[in-house]
Amino acid sequence: MQDKVTTLFKAIADPKRRAIFHALIIASSALSITQIVNKFDISRQGVTKHIKTLEEAGLVSINSKGRERFCYPNAKPLQEINKWLKFYEQFWTDSLDSLGDYLDNKKA
Amino acid sequence: MKDIITKEKVFNHSIDTIWSAITRAEELSTWFIKADFKAENGYKYTFTASEDKGCLAINGEVKASSPYTLIYTWVVENTNVETTVTWHLQPIEGGGTKLHLEHSGISNYEGDTAVKMFESFSGGWDGCINGLLAYLKKEVNAG
Repeated sequence: MQDKVTTLFKAIADPKRRAIFHALIIASSALSITQIVNKFDISRQGVTKHIKTLEEAGLVSINSKGRERFCYPNAKPLQEINKWLKFYEQFWTDSLDSLGDYLDNKKA
Repeated sequence: MKDIITKEKVFNHSIDTIWSAITRAEELSTWFIKADFKAENGYKYTFTASEDKGCLAINGEVKASSPYTLIYTWVVENTNVETTVTWHLQPIEGGGTKLHLEHSGISNYEGDTAVKMFESFSGGWDGCINGLLAYLKKEVNAG
């Protein structure tokens, strides 16, 4: 089984996929594959492939209505990574401050 | 999106003073986390947050420790996810030392593990470590 977060990083590494994901986030409703194709001037096949990669990373869910497929964005996986980064950013900042205090005190 | 945390800090202390503070168990236990640590390749260390609060420990293995680069793996207790912490010291012309710290490997985390880990952080480990740091800061300053 491929690691989920690795899949996530691969999915957002591509600028076109980031652009598609961003368009889904700012759209107030779900976008159909056709709407995405019109927005981006990429082939239908290309869009379908990008959407599939985003779906595998948990960033997009797809709902079929008749012949059209609608894409919904899901930003939650990104929030999880963001939380991890935020936690350790703060953790290391605090730790290095603590190291500084320790060293200053040791000198005196 | 980055998969690495980087910190740089300049200290007005000699490179050997800082190397000692980040490699000796006794000193680590004072300013960082209670540590069973040796700066020897292959040494399996433990950082223990205070047990009475039910905090998680950090385990890992020292991968490199030649002055002035220290690298060890970082595994949070009850997870099997390995990240890597790298310390690098560099003397600055005219005195002082630049410390460069890297923590990498977030892409090793599986989504589910990450969620579990954050739950345990907000449930205690986070506050515990921060509380410990605040305590140390106060004690060291007061001492």
